[in-house]
Amino acid sequence: MKMMNGNEAVARGAFEAGVKVAAGFPGTPSTEVMDYTQHRYPDIYCEWSTNEKVGLEVAIGASFAGYRSLAIMKTVGLHVAADALGGAAGSQINGGLVLVVGDDVGRIAGDDYNDVRHYGNMFNIPVLEPSDSQEAKDLMVRAFEISEEYSTPVILKITSVTCKTTGRVLIDEDYAYEVKCREKYPVSFSKVIMTTIMMKAKGSEHPKLTKCFNDFPAHMKRLAEDSNDFDINKLELNGKKIGVITAGTPYYYVKEVLPEASVLKLGLVMPLPEKMIRELAQHVEKLYVIEDGHDILEKNIKDLGISVIGKELFPKFPEMTRFTPDIIEEKLVPGAPKRTPQEGVPFRLPVSCAGCSHLFISQILRKHKIKAAADVTCGLIGCFPHMESYSLQKCMGSSIALAHGYNIAKDHKENFVAMIGDGGFWATGINGLMNLIFNDSQSTVIIVDNSCLAMTGGQNVASSEFGFNYKAENKLDIAKVCEAIGVKDIVTVDAYEFKNLEESILNAVNAKTNSVVIVKKPCVTKFKLPKDTPSYIDQDLCSKCRKCINVGCLAIESKRKNGSVEIVINEDICTGCGLCSTVCHTEAIKN
Amino acid sequence: MQDTGKNIIIAGVGGQGILLFSNLLSKFYMKLGYELKISDVIGLGQRGGGVESHFRYSNKPVLSPFIKAGDVDYVISFEQTETLRFLHCLKDDGIIFTSTFELSSTSVNTGLQKAMPESKTEIIKRSENKKFIIDPDEHKSPDFNISKMMNVVMLGYYAEFRAYSHDDMIQIVRENVPEKFVEGNIKAYKMGTMIAVGELVAK
Ligand SMILES: Cc1ncc(C[n+]2csc(CCOP(=O)(O)OP(=O)(O)O)c2C)c(N)n1
Ligand code: SF4
Ligand code: SF4
Repeated sequence: MKMMNGNEAVARGAFEAGVKVAAGFPGTPSTEVMDYTQHRYPDIYCEWSTNEKVGLEVAIGASFAGYRSLAIMKTVGLHVAADALGGAAGSQINGGLVLVVGDDVGRIAGDDYNDVRHYGNMFNIPVLEPSDSQEAKDLMVRAFEISEEYSTPVILKITSVTCKTTGRVLIDEDYAYEVKCREKYPVSFSKVIMTTIMMKAKGSEHPKLTKCFNDFPAHMKRLAEDSNDFDINKLELNGKKIGVITAGTPYYYVKEVLPEASVLKLGLVMPLPEKMIRELAQHVEKLYVIEDGHDILEKNIKDLGISVIGKELFPKFPEMTRFTPDIIEEKLVPGAPKRTPQEGVPFRLPVSCAGCSHLFISQILRKHKIKAAADVTCGLIGCFPHMESYSLQKCMGSSIALAHGYNIAKDHKENFVAMIGDGGFWATGINGLMNLIFNDSQSTVIIVDNSCLAMTGGQNVASSEFGFNYKAENKLDIAKVCEAIGVKDIVTVDAYEFKNLEESILNAVNAKTNSVVIVKKPCVTKFKLPKDTPSYIDQDLCSKCRKCINVGCLAIESKRKNGSVEIVINEDICTGCGLCSTVCHTEAIKN
Repeated sequence: MQDTGKNIIIAGVGGQGILLFSNLLSKFYMKLGYELKISDVIGLGQRGGGVESHFRYSNKPVLSPFIKAGDVDYVISFEQTETLRFLHCLKDDGIIFTSTFELSSTSVNTGLQKAMPESKTEIIKRSENKKFIIDPDEHKSPDFNISKMMNVVMLGYYAEFRAYSHDDMIQIVRENVPEKFVEGNIKAYKMGTMIAVGELVAK
């Protein structure tokens, strides 16, 4: 018995399933699945790939080689990898192929209004969903078995709640790792090839044709039929008043709030066990669906011609994407007491770590009113209303192409600048750069080289000097790659040399050519950079203009003291980077 | 086992060691043979966001990872704005353990939102629930930085309040913090027990 959170349990499941290859890209809440796999189970080859599409393709290749393979990402990452999944869906599977995908339900820390189960519907592939750590481990093993038995990629959906909940897991302490290998199919092609063959050669049994053909609709039909007997789907017939179909952690909310209810708990959420659902529907007076995320089970059940109550009672999007026991109680338990939170408790806007290089860039852009697009990076804090350094921000790796689009539309009369992290650059931003060069565009790109994917906790990128498979000779060099791509003007500056950085950015913006400014400074938090003497504010000189607060540093606070407000620097947090003193017009900030 | 279990919300902001606190506590309750579920809700913690941990131990299997509002036995909080967020979740006989430390909210710092007109400590004091309030400024020590180790101070305080074995708890601290921090942590723990002894007698 061990205490494990969902991410740890998934990693353990991968180990017990005899996985050989794990590839993926970080993303909250599922990043640690890879970390645990790599740290604890050295038998499994692990890599952080340049992006999710690459990661999934690596896993698909390894699966065709016969070995159980795992791709790890968050749901927004699967948007990037969706084409690869479409290629694998319906094709012959040798070694089990499982995607562990994290839905950030409730947007606890992330950016999600996404639901990975849509991919199950779209590609007609199975989706499993655990309710706790024990199931996370068990379903992981099950996912590989299903993948092989029904020749299909399988998605294991985990959420911000399952990933971050620690509970008891029974494990076989003596389990000895055994790699599984299965070379069943000599070929594996995307559905395009199979359907072409199917149409042309109806009835032909020629082995050259049949070996290319995988009857995937039949596999899924069989799985749907078999799922009525799967022990991972549990029908608990109790009271006749209320029936609930549920999956994931909402199962436990239901068990706690509605102990009398009859419940169908799905471990396999796609395809649905129709017979079980009909049995429950017949048993109860009212049938509800309680699911985190979108109304996917609800729609799929309604498609079977079974009526259920779901979002009409529990409004979804955008009011609620994550259930809590409280929500269920409020709607289904008459007379439940209502509790009102304390009024007026202020919320917390995100800020950057003290001493972060992003703050220097945000500050320079704001100071000179340079219009810019931010990428998905720690630097996107600069988009928030207290900073207002950026006016455009979309998805990971996008900022370079966004700026290019803006600039061509404005006939290059403005220079709309792109800011991107080193991770975003290698992920897909590099495509934007190649694109703008060969399409003869002029744009300035600021690449923030902090040697890691900082926002997700500091994983390695192609230009890092560390990482799972790191070798100095294989490290990619951002400047050299930019040069090879054909960027005319490339400078590299240290973020903390404020004047130099300011000048470099201004020069690049004003030069009528394409340019890259590489801003170097390791992430202060990941690399625990040594601190300088903390700065302090001389209260006699401070005019309370609050300009320094808008720098966006975590260390600067406004505090009420004896009835009046003081702007102060928290000495435990301040790194002494000196940035805030550059904005203070009364020179009150001292070091 | 007389105590059948408790629902605890542990709250604060990033960097206050909330996850270590809940980890140490979980080791303790596991040794006592309880079932546990601990769910961490982490905002952008590293960057000054709120962190909350729903900590449930019980002599029966724990179902929901989240504690329903109204079912909380203890709110243990290291930051008083965060304490306020959970007052309404307490049972009528639920208890507040809070530090008066405050990390001001960015939205207020930057003038995007109004500061609360009243002192937060006063609001907490007015709560009908029983409360134990620790002001870290009153307990500064040359041996450790209390602003960084409030978590372990609070652990000592809590253990004293529950009349748990300090030897067992200190052993767990020893086994779970990095070697070079062990001594400082034990001092912080003992400070917590001492503050508690003083207050519990006073009450
Ligand atoms: C497609 C996609 N994959 C993954 C993520 C999760 N994610 C958010 S920020 C980030 C890291 C960004 O790293 P980098 O570009 O180097 O910027 P930094 O945070 O280091 O400044 C990742 C992986 C995402 N938002 N979208
Ligand atoms: S984690 Fe690193 S890159 Fe992100 S805000 Fe902190 S210092 Fe900056
Ligand atoms: S010097 Fe100013 S900007 Fe830099 S870390 Fe300290 S408070 Fe923040």
